[in-house]
Amino acid sequence: MNLEIALLLGQDGIVNGAIYALLALALVLVFAVTRVIFIPQGEFVAYGALTLATFQMGKTPNTIWLLLGVGILVALIDTIIAVRGGNLGRLKRIVLWNLVLPAVVVGLVLLLEPGKLPLAAQVALTLAIVVPLGPMVYRLVYQPLAEASVLILLIVSVAVHLVLAGLGLLFFGAEGSRTTPFSEAQFQLGTLAVNGQTVFVVGTSVVLIIALYQFFGRTLYGKALRATAINRVGARLMGISNTMAGKLSFTLAAGIGALSGILISPITTVYYDTGFMIGLKGFVAAIIAGLASYPLAAAGAVLVGLLESFSSFWASAFKEVIVFTLIIPVLMWRSLTSHHVEEEE
Amino acid sequence: MKRHLPLLVFLVALAVSPVMLSEFYVTLLNYIGLYSIVALGLVLLTGVGGLTSFGQAAFVGLGAYATGYLTTAHAVSPWLALLIGLALTAVVALILGFMTLRLSGHYLPLGTIAWGISLYFLFGNLDFLGGHTGLTSIPVLELFGYRLDTGRRFYYIIWIALLGAILATQNLLNSREGRAIRALKGGGLMAEAMGVNTARTKTVIFIIAALFACVSGWLYAHLQRFVNPTPFGLHIGIEYLFMAVVGGAAHVWGALVGAGLITVLKQWLQDILPKIFGQSGNFEVIFFGLMLIIVLQRARDGIWPWLIRVLPSMETGERVVAEAEPLPRRQMPATGAVVLEVKNARKVFGGLVANNNMSLTVKAGEVMALIGPNGAGKSTMFNCISGVAPVTSGEIDFLGQRIETLESREIVRRGMGRTFQHVRLLPTMSVLENVAIGAHLRGSKGVLSASLHLERTEEARLLAEAKRQLERVGLGGHLFDEAGSLPLGQQRLMEIARALCTDPCLLLLDEPAAGLRYLEKQALAELLRKLRGEGMGILLVEHDMDFVMGLADRVVVMEFGEKISEGLPEEVQKDPVVLEAYLGGVE
Amino acid sequence: MKVKSIVVALLSAGAVTLAHADITVGVSVSATGPAASLGIPEQNTFTLMPTEIGGEKVKYIILDDASDTTTAVRNARKFVSEDKVDAIIGSTITPNSLAMIDVAAEAETPLVSMAASARIVEPMDPKRHWVFKTPQNDLQMSTAITEHMSNLGVKTVAFIGFSDAYGEGWWNEFSKMVDLRKLKMVANERFSRTDTSVTGQVLKIMSANPDAILIAGSGTPSALPQKALKEKGYKGKIYQTHGAANNDFLRVCGKDCEGTFMPTGPMLVASQLPDTNPMKKSALDYVTKYEKAFGAGSVATFGGHAWDAGMLLVNAIPVALKKSKPGTKEFRAALRDALEGTKELYASHGVFTMTPTDHLGLDQRARVMVRVEGGKWVLEK
Repeated sequence: MNLEIALLLGQDGIVNGAIYALLALALVLVFAVTRVIFIPQGEFVAYGALTLATFQMGKTPNTIWLLLGVGILVALIDTIIAVRGGNLGRLKRIVLWNLVLPAVVVGLVLLLEPGKLPLAAQVALTLAIVVPLGPMVYRLVYQPLAEASVLILLIVSVAVHLVLAGLGLLFFGAEGSRTTPFSEAQFQLGTLAVNGQTVFVVGTSVVLIIALYQFFGRTLYGKALRATAINRVGARLMGISNTMAGKLSFTLAAGIGALSGILISPITTVYYDTGFMIGLKGFVAAIIAGLASYPLAAAGAVLVGLLESFSSFWASAFKEVIVFTLIIPVLMWRSLTSHHVEEEE
Repeated sequence: MKRHLPLLVFLVALAVSPVMLSEFYVTLLNYIGLYSIVALGLVLLTGVGGLTSFGQAAFVGLGAYATGYLTTAHAVSPWLALLIGLALTAVVALILGFMTLRLSGHYLPLGTIAWGISLYFLFGNLDFLGGHTGLTSIPVLELFGYRLDTGRRFYYIIWIALLGAILATQNLLNSREGRAIRALKGGGLMAEAMGVNTARTKTVIFIIAALFACVSGWLYAHLQRFVNPTPFGLHIGIEYLFMAVVGGAAHVWGALVGAGLITVLKQWLQDILPKIFGQSGNFEVIFFGLMLIIVLQRARDGIWPWLIRVLPSMETGERVVAEAEPLPRRQMPATGAVVLEVKNARKVFGGLVANNNMSLTVKAGEVMALIGPNGAGKSTMFNCISGVAPVTSGEIDFLGQRIETLESREIVRRGMGRTFQHVRLLPTMSVLENVAIGAHLRGSKGVLSASLHLERTEEARLLAEAKRQLERVGLGGHLFDEAGSLPLGQQRLMEIARALCTDPCLLLLDEPAAGLRYLEKQALAELLRKLRGEGMGILLVEHDMDFVMGLADRVVVMEFGEKISEGLPEEVQKDPVVLEAYLGGVE
Repeated sequence: MKVKSIVVALLSAGAVTLAHADITVGVSVSATGPAASLGIPEQNTFTLMPTEIGGEKVKYIILDDASDTTTAVRNARKFVSEDKVDAIIGSTITPNSLAMIDVAAEAETPLVSMAASARIVEPMDPKRHWVFKTPQNDLQMSTAITEHMSNLGVKTVAFIGFSDAYGEGWWNEFSKMVDLRKLKMVANERFSRTDTSVTGQVLKIMSANPDAILIAGSGTPSALPQKALKEKGYKGKIYQTHGAANNDFLRVCGKDCEGTFMPTGPMLVASQLPDTNPMKKSALDYVTKYEKAFGAGSVATFGGHAWDAGMLLVNAIPVALKKSKPGTKEFRAALRDALEGTKELYASHGVFTMTPTDHLGLDQRARVMVRVEGGKWVLEK
C-alpha cells in the first residue's frame, strides 16, 4: 500500500462514514426520545433513493400510493378515536395532515411529470412523499406501544423493517438504480482526485449535523425533544406531549434517511434492501456513542467507514468479519469507560 | 391431576402426530421443534436473564458445521461429533461471553450482532466448510442400528430433545441457581449483595443457550443432510428472537408457542396469499410483518401469558413448603467483640465528596444507629461497608479482616447481611423465592444437578429457611404472594427476612421502619432486640427517632458526609451540634 | 368477480388438495431475499408455461423460498407430500438446489434445478439420478471467457466476485481454467451484493495491474465494480458473467459498460443470430412471449433457465404419459427416464441432449460471447 492508495481509501471511508454518521444521528435521536431502536431507518434510505430514481426514469413511483394508503388508515383510526372521545375539534388537523397533504403530493406527482423537472424539484417531491411516512409509521405502530419495553419495541422495529422491505421489493423490484449526480465536477487535491459528488455528500452531512445541533440547542421543538429524551414523565408534566415528540423525532429520522438515500444514489447503486446494512453500520456507530452522544456517533461512523474501506482492501472476503470483530474491543472499551445506570427499566 | 390435563393432552397429541399426519406436517413439526430448542435458550438468556442476543443462529451453525465437517471429512460418528460440537460451542461461547457479557446495556445486543455476522461470514469463507455453497452428503443418524432417514423417524429424537430441554430449563429456573438467574434482570445489584456472582451466572446462561442452539444445529444438519451458511445468518438470528418474544419470552413454553406460531403463520401465508393475489408478486413477508405488529400490540408479553389465562394454569409451583432439616449456622462472635470497624472512610463521586473521614465500630450483640439529616451520606456509608460501592480511601475491617476492596458478594459470604433504602426485590417472583435468594450462599448445588432436580433435599432446606425467616418477621401468611403486591412496609420486612437468610453476624438495616404502622414497628423492634440477644451486631439507619432511641445502644450522627457526634442515645440527643444539624437555622 | 375469487380462495385455503389426475409441477424460486433479482424473472416465466401438455392439464404450484435453504427444503417436502407433484423445478440458487436433492431422491421425484453449479448433477450417484439442471455450467462459461481472453492476447487476469455461492462457484471454475490456459491470476477479491463501495477491492486489483478482469456478480450489483474501475481509470478489458445479462444492468452501468464482454446463452442476442442457426427460433420464441407479457426489454437470462426447465418437461411428459398415469410413482419414474432421454431439444439457452451421466446436456451451442456496444448486447463473431 502506498500513500496514494491510503488517501483514496481514507476518502472512501470518510464518504461512507458521513452517511453512516447521518443515520447514526437519526438513530440516537429516535432512541433517546422514544426508546425505539429504529431498524427501518434503512428502508427510508432506499425509499428516498429509489423514488427519486423512478422519477428520473420518467415513471410514477408506487410510494405515492403507499403514502395515500397509510394516510387514509391513520385518518380513519384517529377519526374514530376523536369521535369516540367527543374531540371533534381535532378532525380538521387529522384530515389536513393525513388526507389533504398526501393527496396534494400525489396530485403534484401525477400532474407535473417529475421526470422533466429540475433536480431540486425532484428531490423536494421525493422528500414530500417519503418523509410523512415517518410520523405515520409512528402513529400506527409505535404510539400504541409507547410504554412497552425496549425489547418489544426492538422486535416491532424488525417487523416494520420486514414490511417496508417487502413493500420496497414490490415497488421497485430486485434490481438497483442510480440517480444523476448533483455535481459532475472533479477536483485535484495534490495527487488525489476528488469527485464533486463526494464533496457534496460530506458537506451536506456536516451541514445537517450542525443544523441538528442548532435545532436542539436553539429551537423550542428541539428543546422539547431533549426534555422528553431526558425525562419522559417530567416532560409530559411540563406539557410536552410524548406523542408529539415521538412523531417529530420520526419525521426527522425519515427525513434524514431519505436525504441520505438521495445523497448516495449518484455514487453507488441502491437496492430495495440496501438500507439494512447501511442502517446496521449507522447503528454500530450509534451504539459506540452509547445511543446518547451526537458527536461521538459521528466519530464512530467515520471509524466504521474507515475500517470498512481499509479491510476491503486488505482482505475483501473477510471484510465484514474484520469490521465486526474489531467493533467488539471498541464496545468493550466504551462499556468500561462510560457510566451507566445498572438497573434500567 | 386436572392441573396436568392440558400437558397430558399435548404430550399424547405429540406422540401420535407422526402416525396421523402427512410427511409434510411432520416436517413442519420437526422444524418447530428445532426452532423451539434455540428459542428456549433465548427465553433463558433474554426473557429471564435480560440479555438480548441476536447471535444464536451462529451457535446453531457451530453445531451444524461441527458435525457436517467431522462426519463428512473425517467419518467421525455423528454422536461423537455432537460431543465435539458441544465442547467447541462451549469454548466459543465462553470466549464470546467473556468478551461481550461485560458489555453493559445496549452494547451487548450489538456485540452479539457483531460476532453473529463474523461467524456467518467465516462459515462462508472457509473452504474446508464448503464455503458459501455448502457441505453435502452428511450421513444419516443411526440409533441402535435404526436409521433415522425420514422426517417421521427423526421426529421423536427432536421432540424428546426439546421436551428434555424444556424440563431441564424449568427445573433449573425453580432452583437456587434459577433464582439467581431470574434476579439478573432488574435485580443484579441486589443479587450480588446476596452473594450471587452475577458475571458467572450470566456466563452460565449464555453457555446453556449456546449449547441448546448447538444441539438444534446438530439435529438440523442430520435432518437436512446439507449445511450452508444461509440458515445461520443475522436474519435468522433475529427470527429466533422473534419467536421467543412473540411466544412469551419470560416463559419456557413461550419458546414452543412462538416457534410454532411463526412457522405456522408463514406456512399459512404462503398457502393463502397466492390465491388472493395470484402467482406473481411476493406479499408473504409484508403480511408476516404486519401480523407480528398486530400480535405484539395486542399481547405485549407474548402469546403464552395470554394462553394460560384461557387454559388452566400449568406452570404454578408447589404451594406448600415442606419441613426440612435446618441449615447449618455460622459461628457467632462473642458478645461485645468488635465485628465492624470503619477507619477514615472517604467516598468521592466525581467531584462530590459523599463521605469524609468516617469512622465507626459495631460490636456483636449491640444495635448501633447511624442517623443524620437527609443527604448526610448514611446510605453511601452503607454501600461502602457492604461493598456495593467501594470506598475511595480508608480502611474497613470486618471480623478482623480487611474488606474494603472486596466485592459485595464476598462480604456477604463473610457474614454481613443488608437491606436497601429503596427496596430491591423481584416484583413478579413470590415472597418466598425473593427471600430464598438471601440463602444463596448456604447452598452449593450447581446448574447441572438443578436441571436434573438432584438437589431437592438442599432446595427444601433453603426454602424452609426462607419460610422460617419470613415467619420471624411476621410475613408467614404471604409466602406465595407476588412480592410486588405487598405494601411498602411489608416489602421492607421481606428484605429483612432475606438479609437474615444470609445467616449474618452483622445486619445492616437501611430505614427498616419506614412505612410500617405502629404495631408493626413494635414487632420489628422486638425482633431486633431478640437478634441482638442472640449476639448479632446491627447497624441501623433510621429516621424515626422514637424507634432509634428506644432500640439503639450507641448512636453515630452524620452531616454532610462526616461524623459530627457519637455516643449513647441520651448523650447525642443533648449534643448541641446535633441539635444544630437537625434544627439548624432556627435561631 | 375479484371479490368472489378472493372469497373462494379464502374458503379453499387449508382445505385438503383433492385427488387429481392432472399433472402437477412444484416450483420453488428465490423470489425474495438476496437472490430475488434471479428468482423474479423465473417466477414470471412460469405464468407463460403451457397449461396443457400431451392432452393433460398441468398445474404449477409456485412457492418462494426467500433464498433460504431451510425454506427450499420445506417447499420440496410440501410438494412431494401434500401436492403429490410429478416433478419439481427449483431452486434458483445452488445451495438451495443441493439441499433439495435429498428430498427429491427420497420421494423418487424428478428435480430440475435452475442453478448453475455443476455439483448439482455431478458426480452422478443414486440421488442425482433424479436431478437435472438447465443453466450452463460455470466451467463451460469460464472456458469461453478464457478462450476469448487468450485470443485477445491477455496474459494476466484478476477476479472480483460476489461473496456468496455465485461468486464462489465462478472462482472455483474460472481459476481452474485460468491455470489450464496458462494465464496468470493476479488478484482475487470479493464484494457483497449490497455494498455501497468497492473502492478497496478495485484499488487492490489495479495495483496488480491485470490485462483483464472478470466480475462475477448477478444483475445490477455487478455494475458497481465496473463503474469503480472506470472511475479509477482502469484501461484493460472487463468481462462480466452471464448473471449480469439483463437490461437493468445496462441501465445502471450506462456508458461505463461499453466494450464489456460476457459469455451467455444465445437467447440474449437471439435476434442477431443468423437465420440459419436453428437456435434462433427457439430462443426468440421465449423472448417474444416474455416481453409481450412483461414489457419490452424486460427479459433476463435467468428466466430462460426456468423456461428451459419447463421445455424439458413439455418434451418429456408425452413420453411418460404413454407409460403411466400422472400422480403415480410409475409416472414419476417414467418422467425421469424421459428427461434422461431428451435428445436435441432446442430451448432458449441451447440444445439439450441428456445421457445417464450427463444431466445437463448442453453443448457449445449453449454459449456465445457478447459485447456491450451503444448500450446494447452485440454478438461477438
